[in-house]
Amino acid sequence: MRTKLTTVAAATAATVILASCGSGDGDGGGDAAAERTGEGTGDSCTIEGAVPIGAVLSLTGAAASYGESQQRGLELAAEQLAEKGGVTYDLTIEDDQTDPRQGITLFDQFVSQDVSLIIGPTLSNAAVQADPIAQEAGVPVLGISNTAAGVTEIGDYIFRNSLTESAVIPQTIAKATEEYGLENVVVMYSNDDAFTESGYEAFADALEDEGVEVAEEIRFSKSDTDFRALLTQAQESDPDALVVSALIEAAIPLVTQARELGIDVPIIGGNGFNNPRLMADAGDAAEGVVVGAAWNSSSDNPENQAFLKDFEAKYDARPDQFAAQAYAGLMLVDQAVRANCSADREDIKAALGELEDIPTVLGEFSIDENRDAVHPAVVQVVQDGAFAVLE
Amino acid sequence: MLLEYATPLTFIALGAIFAYSFYAVLIAGQLSLGQAGFASVAAFSAAALAPSGNDVGEVPALLIAVAIGMTLGALAAVVLGLPTMHLRGVFLAIATLGFAEAVRVVLLNSEWTGGAQGLAVPRILTVGMAWIALAVVAYWFWRMGRSRYGRALEAIREDELAARSMGIDVGRHRLAAFVTAGAVAGLYGVLFAYYVRLIAPGDFDFAAAVEGLVTAVVGGSTMFLGPLLGSGFQTMIPELQRAVGVEAGWIRPFLASLLLLVVILFLPGGLASLLPRRTRLPAASGDGNGAGDGNRPSHLAARRHPAAGETVVTLVGLGKEYGGVHAVRDVDLEVRSGEVVGLIGPNGAGKTTLVNMISGLVPPSSGRATVLGVPVGRTPVHKVAAAGVSRTFQHSKLFNRLSALENVLVGAHLVSRPTFLRRLLWLPSARRDEQAALEQAARCLHRVGLADAAGTRASALSYGDQRRLEIARALASEPSLLILDEPAAGMNHVEASTLSALIRSLAADGLTILFIEHNVGMVLETCTRVVVLNFGEVIASGTPQDIASDPAVIEAYLGTEDDEPVTGSVAEGTLADPTGGSAEVMAADSVANVRPGAADTLEPPDTTPRNAS
Repeated sequence: MRTKLTTVAAATAATVILASCGSGDGDGGGDAAAERTGEGTGDSCTIEGAVPIGAVLSLTGAAASYGESQQRGLELAAEQLAEKGGVTYDLTIEDDQTDPRQGITLFDQFVSQDVSLIIGPTLSNAAVQADPIAQEAGVPVLGISNTAAGVTEIGDYIFRNSLTESAVIPQTIAKATEEYGLENVVVMYSNDDAFTESGYEAFADALEDEGVEVAEEIRFSKSDTDFRALLTQAQESDPDALVVSALIEAAIPLVTQARELGIDVPIIGGNGFNNPRLMADAGDAAEGVVVGAAWNSSSDNPENQAFLKDFEAKYDARPDQFAAQAYAGLMLVDQAVRANCSADREDIKAALGELEDIPTVLGEFSIDENRDAVHPAVVQVVQDGAFAVLE
Repeated sequence: MLLEYATPLTFIALGAIFAYSFYAVLIAGQLSLGQAGFASVAAFSAAALAPSGNDVGEVPALLIAVAIGMTLGALAAVVLGLPTMHLRGVFLAIATLGFAEAVRVVLLNSEWTGGAQGLAVPRILTVGMAWIALAVVAYWFWRMGRSRYGRALEAIREDELAARSMGIDVGRHRLAAFVTAGAVAGLYGVLFAYYVRLIAPGDFDFAAAVEGLVTAVVGGSTMFLGPLLGSGFQTMIPELQRAVGVEAGWIRPFLASLLLLVVILFLPGGLASLLPRRTRLPAASGDGNGAGDGNRPSHLAARRHPAAGETVVTLVGLGKEYGGVHAVRDVDLEVRSGEVVGLIGPNGAGKTTLVNMISGLVPPSSGRATVLGVPVGRTPVHKVAAAGVSRTFQHSKLFNRLSALENVLVGAHLVSRPTFLRRLLWLPSARRDEQAALEQAARCLHRVGLADAAGTRASALSYGDQRRLEIARALASEPSLLILDEPAAGMNHVEASTLSALIRSLAADGLTILFIEHNVGMVLETCTRVVVLNFGEVIASGTPQDIASDPAVIEAYLGTEDDEPVTGSVAEGTLADPTGGSAEVMAADSVANVRPGAADTLEPPDTTPRNAS
């Protein structure tokens, strides 16, 4: 027993020492700052040292399913950029465990390690908590999945390539109203999640703008899996469509049970529905689900076709919007670095703000004056087990 | 250098403060999961109500927020505590968890909290402020540790019933601990909010509560540095994994859980058990050890015993019925000051039930009892104890994880003064009072012959020593009426003889003593009066000589031979031994344990060491 205690104590001591060594390495990164500018422009740009990029993703915890997709997208992009040469990236992906404390700690750590730019974090609320650290330190941040309003208002170092809900959802509602002649809908949403709740708010505003009447609003919890009672309640209003703001974990049983109960009206989903798992797990029930998306998976632009092929080759799975946005994110960072052929923080910041009409997997991409993304959104409908553009 | 670690250091401090809110109740043996709810109430209210840093300055704004948060946290604890404080163990955990969940749902559905998207809060807290707050909280619990209040909480954790009998108002102490937890959790909530910039109800959910509890338990819930160690451990694990290059993903939480398991398995007392713990020993000032009975220091509230001959206990028609079974039936008894009353009778005669009623533990079903002027049955146990009744138990009820000395110090609860608040301020008077209590405890230990075992954990003492320690603890409250329930059980005849001498010397000091004992020889030798109980009724009462020759008593003992072989042998050995002479001769000769055949049917003397855990 006693020896075991001593072992535990010794192990603790050893790890503490290792920790200090570990962060010592991080300091070494500071020397690279001098070598962060290179020669040439655009594709001919060559920078001597690797450009340090930090990424804070939720790889474990509640948002793990998104973070994992993002990790795949980033790693694929990093691999391709390494092949391209000229500028190499030292991409460090860290896990914030869907915990605000870890997110803050990681931002702090990346800032002190003198990275050129931070990608992430996965969730918008984590961005509100952590982005100010980068803003204060003058480190550019590129959000690749933050859709909530206000994130880029944190400061002039905060950018995102993800369309906000207020950009995607009005288009979705407008398109669906036009297509299905919606007059009367039931809105369902989980009110205990920041993402789905802000999605609901955007839906409510858009429905009002379109003059669609909301017969009923039904709330549930993101952890619910049985929606039969709520769906029966919704059925009583005889709606033209169900408008649902939910995460994919709730979306799958909700859609399945709705079809079981004979609700065959369109189901209009928020960003959470934007996941191949919907078709994989809900099967036929997913047919007729309408989802607004920042990424058109069936787009035939060459970047997208190449991305789909490469992603499937590398991971043997189809990418989702989070992977596409992550992939596009690192590609955009590369554009910004090459623009001035400099990985200096200020240069990247300036170049990011000037991105315009860049061809990406998301379509022609620009950054507006509020440092938000501008690119075509798409309204999709599930047809024959795949997303198709709603036309 | 230190600034580089500012963020993890801040989270260590915050995590430790939250863990202290669990420590605050764990130390009193309460398992609560409501702290996340308190923190949540405090964080949201403070963020909404406190003035902006731009108006009053950042630090004042934070201080106001802290004041609001701690007040509301404490208030929430009172509101939740009043109806739930009688709950124990897992029931309290469930009730408090329900409260936290209710708070979360209410905040989630309120407009002013921003719902699931949360409430933005300015960052004001710095690493320095976080550690100052932690230092204040840790200081609080450090000074609490060796105060009368802190000891009372530990006693409640170890054995609630015994704590009650030592005069501790368990309900009040438990509520006080709970309110402390509420205030500390409130402090955590506010500091957390003013550091992370955005709070959502989900930040204070079940997982957060469990994490706080785990931090406190891993650190150690019996030592004030425990929560700090636990938080350091919990916060540093992800840092270390990053530093040594464990790849991000599922492997990290897995390793963290594994490490946690290792700590829990091999360090059941938490990380704090790795720290050497100073055991407090009585001051070797001589007067504590040598002087013995006479010179009592003036700091302690000396009790005035009733004058010899005054009535101490009056029982009129007292009865206790358990579902139709009359454990005690219609007992009339009067005990006068200075008497040493022995209560004997076969097993199941109702002796323990009777003394439980006298000491207020069990309310009578019929009749009435007045003890030292207090009507027992309607009076809480600790008030009966405060009136001057102190007792030991048939099965030792010691505070097992406390040292012998600390056990006796708890016994001195009633006669020592509260020292916690004065200890916080380092007032010399607190030190004097603690010293006086220590001397009192040392004297009591010395009196029962346990002075050498002062630093030993109660659970590590031999069975006989445990019985003596219980007597010392009972003595420490300077009782007027001392009730001993089978004090000599498990003692050899030499020890029993010493005990008998002790009891008589206590009587000489003016104490009234009522004791149950199977060792009839010892009873006859020690008592001034013997009361014999059979089937819940008094069948004889009188001087030892009268009792020894009372045919009803002999009948009671012999008549139960069939179903009570134990007492049968007692009777044969003491009262009807054809060869061994009369009982008086036996008694005068020595206090012998005359129940050799009874040893295996009575509670066996516990010779196995109890420090196995």
